[in-house]
Amino acid sequence: MKCEECQTLIEEYVDGGPHKIGQKAGALVNAHVAACSQCASFREGLIREQAIYARYERDVEVTPMLWSSIEARIKTERAAKPAGLFSRLREQMLGMFAAPRLSPAVAFALVLIAIAVTVIVMTRLNPGGREVAKNNSNVAVPEAGGSSGNRNPGSPFAGSGEIAKTESPTVAPPNQVKVSAPRKAPATTAPTPAQLVREAEQKYVTAIAMLSRDVNRKRSQLDPMMLARFDSALGDIDRTIKDTRRVVRENPEDPIALQYLLAAYSKKVDVLRGMSASTD
Amino acid sequence: MMEAVSLVGQLSGRAGALMNSSEELIARARRGEDEAFRLIFDRYGRPIISFIYDMVGRRDLAEELAQETFVRAYKNLKALRDDSKLSTWLFGIAKNVARESLRYKHRETDKVAIDDDRVIELSDGKLPPDRQLLDKELNGVIRDALGALDEDKRLVFTLKIFQQRSYEEIAEITGSSIPKLKTDLHRARAEMRRRIQPYLGASFGS
Repeated sequence: MKCEECQTLIEEYVDGGPHKIGQKAGALVNAHVAACSQCASFREGLIREQAIYARYERDVEVTPMLWSSIEARIKTERAAKPAGLFSRLREQMLGMFAAPRLSPAVAFALVLIAIAVTVIVMTRLNPGGREVAKNNSNVAVPEAGGSSGNRNPGSPFAGSGEIAKTESPTVAPPNQVKVSAPRKAPATTAPTPAQLVREAEQKYVTAIAMLSRDVNRKRSQLDPMMLARFDSALGDIDRTIKDTRRVVRENPEDPIALQYLLAAYSKKVDVLRGMSASTD
Repeated sequence: MMEAVSLVGQLSGRAGALMNSSEELIARARRGEDEAFRLIFDRYGRPIISFIYDMVGRRDLAEELAQETFVRAYKNLKALRDDSKLSTWLFGIAKNVARESLRYKHRETDKVAIDDDRVIELSDGKLPPDRQLLDKELNGVIRDALGALDEDKRLVFTLKIFQQRSYEEIAEITGSSIPKLKTDLHRARAEMRRRIQPYLGASFGS
């Protein structure tokens, strides 16, 4: 067997396993490699190469923003079919939000709207819980031992990984929240909490997209150390958003999960605004 | 914020594994269940965006093209004939999307641009040859080497080496014959090897 032929078979073996070259060819390769230092070296090198490629890490992540963008485009596609008044209005709104450049002031206005919607959502999620509504006025994730005192010091969740249903005195446990309980007002067309959350989420996502564009334009003006810190914080928040979204998908009516999802979005907006402001 | 981050692990603990089969998800998505398509995205989003990133070499563009890939997939779900080949089908769409983008980009340059924090000089002599290969420098070298491959070689190399696809699957994705794929992969390997040679040790490939 020639070295070239042997090395081709070694590559096939590494790519597809022994069955790819067959027993007979495998035996020939082994015999050749045992007698040929060059091909033995080739085989070792190929294995080291594979190990290197297996460890290759890319600077790319599946962010929650990616799905939000896909979802928005899918909805746009779907909405393109009927040409009713509502559809046209909706498309116009989507088109407005998708405008390539809006000022940070507009983004800020959207954030304010999102916060207002969030407050409404939380009020609905906890009909009797005035305290939740009060505490949600600053939607941000509660700080440990914060002055609002609406949570136990430390984690608001039980150590087992389950949400503590009784530890938080001001947030009604999920099983006590009558999310879909009929209200006195007729309000047959009133949006559900899940719809309101989705609406708030969309507004946050839109605001975040605009702020991100603004920040990306200014990245070169930021101090590298500060930029690294901001990026690290954004990475943390993105992971929080991703994980809370997963929890919300599984428990769409869990008020605590919803609260934390919106709080994480709010935090991201804060960080992006901080980045944007630090270059002004 | 740190508190928010610390919550993640606890919240994650509540998130169960997604156990639906691809066929089931496709059937549900075809019936208009957005959540089913979301689960498809959850399952294949990472490999697809990684594949596209390897093809185009830019993070922002990879995100944009991954978005386009999934939107096209959604619009054409009914065209998927064999539900068990969802993954191959998605990679096929991603390949088309990436190629379209590369063709457009080739009007400006012949080489795939690679982003940011980048590549070291291989000949600077500062790196010991047996250095561990997990660091950012080597990632940069691999990205650069990938970007220097021609499109066909990069495609087969990425699908075979990084995505662990069989030749049969790659043939379906690319439309190329298996002998051609093997030849392209062999050449791609050789080119990549030349670039990562300092990390492999002096004895290899001589």
